[in-house]
Amino acid sequence: MGLLTILKKMKHKEREMRLLMLGLDNAGKTTILKKFNGEDVSTISPTLGFNIKTLEHKGFKLNIWDVGGQKSLRSYWRNYFESTDGLVWVVDSADRLRLEDCRQELSSLLLEERLSSATLLVFANKQDLPGSLSKEAIREALALDQIKSHHWSIISCSALTGENLLSGVDWLLDDIAARVFTAD
Amino acid sequence: MEVKSDISQENGHCGPIDTGIKIPERMLKREQDRLEDVERKKEAKNSQSVTEEKSEFITAMFSNERAAIEELLAGCSCAIDRSLATQTLEEVTTRTQQLQKFLTDNQKPLPPYVLKQSQVSLQKLQTSLAEKRDEILPKKKFAFKSRATNTSKVSTPVIDPVPRVTQNDSAQTNVDGVISPPEQCGFSHFESKVLIKSAEEIKQKDVLLTHLTNCKVKLLGSPSTVHIKHIQNCEIFSGPVSSSVFVDHCTGSTLSFPCQQLRTHHTTNTQVYLHVTSRAIIEYCQDVHFAPFTWSYPGLDEDFAVSGLDRGRNNWDQVDDFNWLAIGTQSPNWSVIPEADRRADWD
Repeated sequence: MGLLTILKKMKHKEREMRLLMLGLDNAGKTTILKKFNGEDVSTISPTLGFNIKTLEHKGFKLNIWDVGGQKSLRSYWRNYFESTDGLVWVVDSADRLRLEDCRQELSSLLLEERLSSATLLVFANKQDLPGSLSKEAIREALALDQIKSHHWSIISCSALTGENLLSGVDWLLDDIAARVFTAD
Repeated sequence: MEVKSDISQENGHCGPIDTGIKIPERMLKREQDRLEDVERKKEAKNSQSVTEEKSEFITAMFSNERAAIEELLAGCSCAIDRSLATQTLEEVTTRTQQLQKFLTDNQKPLPPYVLKQSQVSLQKLQTSLAEKRDEILPKKKFAFKSRATNTSKVSTPVIDPVPRVTQNDSAQTNVDGVISPPEQCGFSHFESKVLIKSAEEIKQKDVLLTHLTNCKVKLLGSPSTVHIKHIQNCEIFSGPVSSSVFVDHCTGSTLSFPCQQLRTHHTTNTQVYLHVTSRAIIEYCQDVHFAPFTWSYPGLDEDFAVSGLDRGRNNWDQVDDFNWLAIGTQSPNWSVIPEADRRADWD
């Protein structure tokens, strides 16, 4: 038994998960992270770089990585792919103009080999805005039904009010736990 | 001699009594130990062969199923009926997932090498499945058909709520009713015009300004979000924007608004008179200049209250340039407008 195996086993025992949160700029990734962590969300600036939060939820230790979504930062996303258990794709439901952009970025992520074992959660964010699209419309626009390579689900939420954030993350944890920890 | 005879005598004397009790007991115990030991060894051997058999069984099951799936996948091509092909792909997908689960559930008895090999072959299977799917079912390209919306917007007079309804209807049918009509107002494709939106029209909506040249735009209200795209030589002033302002492909213009965040892209030679409560960023921009927001109109105070922006916090001069990540040195792409050169007359 090599050291790596031992480390891996220890990690499993701790029930630790790594979640990677991505999406176009202005989708609300940092706001989701901060809201989930119970922090103030009114002074958030566009993320130049990334944020990491470690928190306990439902007996799991979650490492959540929130990486900036500006175009110039997207090429760095791949530096964060390794050993990701869950991918959270955040969509600004009110941003109709860039939905096609959003679909392309997501579909190229799903081809990524290092993400091939990750569960996908799509957050249709900003449901508090009057002009926001429903999660069915987002599902259609992002062609989610064609995704066969990953377990996925779409959940409408509002990072500002905190609505549905918890149920989304709960689904993600259950799916990952069923997949990763069945062997125990 | 005497001793010997004594012994023999003793033996002879005690013999019949002791053989019945003492010696066989010791012997029996030893025999029992031996038997137990044999049993234990046997068990160990058995269990080992069980693991071996089990792992062989699992490997056999795995490779059988994998071969079956591969065959199924190979038989599936564009030549056959599309719906049939789709069905086959579905089946292959579920069976691959089941196989993955089977492997995860039974990984314990497998030797590490076999487990690794199985995982590799499973990975290969998934890759070829993905390739097949791309080949047979190319991804539908999704696009909004915004042409109708645009043309009707162009013909829509500046203040006229009635045609908006019909415009919304056409937009809805265009996208099969899935996408509800946008809560958006704005101007697009104008040249050399003065364009004004009132507070009633804006009312916390998303405002879209596109393809404007030599125009003067005033948004006298509090929008939710403002998108400013493909703008040349314009003056665009807006009331407090409660979330973000997007600026994209804008040249030779003057912009002025309060907002929570400003995200500027592909913009050159532009002045921004800004009130921003979090941060302004620029990306792929050159020659962009910032100064504090000074424009005013009757009703600005009320609109500030509606937007929820903090009037006391203005970070107009803290601009993050995403193409200039060196900390401590000023980005060459933006600068602060010297006080003497700032605009004072807004009409």
